[in-house]
Amino acid sequence: MSVIVDRLSVNVGSKALVRNVTIEIAAGSWCTVVGPNGAGKTTLVEAIAGLRRPSSGSVSISGSSLTAMNERERARTIALVPQHPVIPSGMSVYDYVALGRVPYHGLFHSASAGDKRVVESVLDRMSLGDFRDRDVFTLSGGERQRMVLGRALAQSTMVIVLDEPTTGLDLRHQMDLLELLKSEVAECNLTVIATLHDLTLAGQFADRLVLLDSGEVVLDGVSAQVIRSDELAVRYGMKLRVVDVDGSDVVVPVRNQSP
Amino acid sequence: MAAVVAFTAVALCVAVVGGLVIGPTSIGTWRVVGSLFSHVGIGHDTLSQTQSAIVWQFRAPRMVLGLLAGAMLAVAGGTYQGVFRNPLADPYLLGVAAGAGLGATFAIVNVGHGLTPAWTPLLAFVGAMAAVTVTWLIGGRALRSNVSTLILAGVAVSALLTSAQTFLQQQSGVGSITRVYIWLLGSLASASWSSVWLVLPYVLVCICVCVGAARALDVMSVGEDESRSLGVPVRKVRFVVIAASSLGTAAIVSAVGLIGFVGIIVPHIVRLLVGTSYRRILPISVFFGAAFLVFADTIARTVIAPSELPLGVVTALVGAPVFVVILSLRRPVPV
Repeated sequence: MSVIVDRLSVNVGSKALVRNVTIEIAAGSWCTVVGPNGAGKTTLVEAIAGLRRPSSGSVSISGSSLTAMNERERARTIALVPQHPVIPSGMSVYDYVALGRVPYHGLFHSASAGDKRVVESVLDRMSLGDFRDRDVFTLSGGERQRMVLGRALAQSTMVIVLDEPTTGLDLRHQMDLLELLKSEVAECNLTVIATLHDLTLAGQFADRLVLLDSGEVVLDGVSAQVIRSDELAVRYGMKLRVVDVDGSDVVVPVRNQSP
Repeated sequence: MAAVVAFTAVALCVAVVGGLVIGPTSIGTWRVVGSLFSHVGIGHDTLSQTQSAIVWQFRAPRMVLGLLAGAMLAVAGGTYQGVFRNPLADPYLLGVAAGAGLGATFAIVNVGHGLTPAWTPLLAFVGAMAAVTVTWLIGGRALRSNVSTLILAGVAVSALLTSAQTFLQQQSGVGSITRVYIWLLGSLASASWSSVWLVLPYVLVCICVCVGAARALDVMSVGEDESRSLGVPVRKVRFVVIAASSLGTAAIVSAVGLIGFVGIIVPHIVRLLVGTSYRRILPISVFFGAAFLVFADTIARTVIAPSELPLGVVTALVGAPVFVVILSLRRPVPV
């Protein structure tokens, strides 16, 4: 499903957090929004996920406006992996992932056999089968993020929004999580909109990068171009070097003065 | 889980029979049970006319009102704890108690000045609903961002109404002060079938709404934004369950006064026993709360008979040690 963000602005009080953003994301592609802290990345993806009402402009998915949908329709269209998910202690991993099926069976019915099959399949793909009865609070950071991703995948949406999904993970777990997501994207033709702080990972996993600063789109293009743009260093306010390592671009920060 | 359900069912049966059997007039347990069954067409009633009147006109309505009050306060407390994600939430959080207290005090101090005792429950109910409405009008708008604002609005409204109630009480005569004080501590002593029929529809509907919202409360344990992204209309659910909990509590408070402790402690005891899912906590709290309050009332009316202990004192005296024992045996479960 294609996602069209059309002249989207989000104001909080008198402050414009997102200004006139227009992005078209093709079905089955991965678009990552990068930018310095306070650029408006989280606000933008929350608006795309339907959690913030746009002050002007619109978000539409395969031609249907997101604001015209009710909560349940929206939850069957677009799923969200938040930056700081609330982990409800006492809930089992299975029950947590099964929350992703609520948009299908609703608040007054139990999960159907079909819902349970989806949850089982997700637990299997996320390698969470052995933890199914564990309290969500006892999981490690990596397991926890896989579980949150699992809940979003259980929503069986064609579009998934991830806000800094690798926060707090070590390098290997960051890579593992993004590889897992990449394989889901390939298998299910998912459209992904993500924010990432790590520019190297952003460049390696996304088809396309959008550089956001002060709520506005500064650059929008294929990952290799955006990563190698001088504008990136200007917007982050620092020196950056891009090094080719085995054919992949690696972004390296450089100190302003020598030690 | 099965053990907890079985325990609750047995406790409820024992509470019901105990509520009918125990009292200053000794009537054999099996004759009372026989009379109970004869009301549903099984066997014969062997009670004398006087005994039948004692059991069915005094003890039965009191026991049934106790069941309704315990069930409603426990489920309302559990629902509040879920919707506010706050373990200290109880059914009186948004001003029900303070509003009812002011209404009842106004009625009691004005008996003989144009009002009759029959006004007490009516004005208590009006006061309770008015207080919650004002709290909602002040704090409800802020619900978009933060539920704590509603809780703080409840604290402010409660403080204001309690000070007005205290002033009114302090200005009245000694006789009124005692009656107000007795009302504030809660009692089932004035229970009658008419009071049961009056609160029954409110309590049944409100309990059904709260228990029906259990799955929504489970989803809402991941916070507002994530619940919305999972398709839950969070603000509608909040409004409906807060309205139902408050209405049911107001109906009960108007009939029995302010019985404390049940609403906060019963859901916590149940949570310690069955885990964090509201689909378990709320239905079991209905029956556990009902049994608990009838037990407490049976103690309240027998320990220093023919006088009675205030019910609110007994619920705390019995509930606190039970809670402490369970708390020390089980791992604490967060809300």
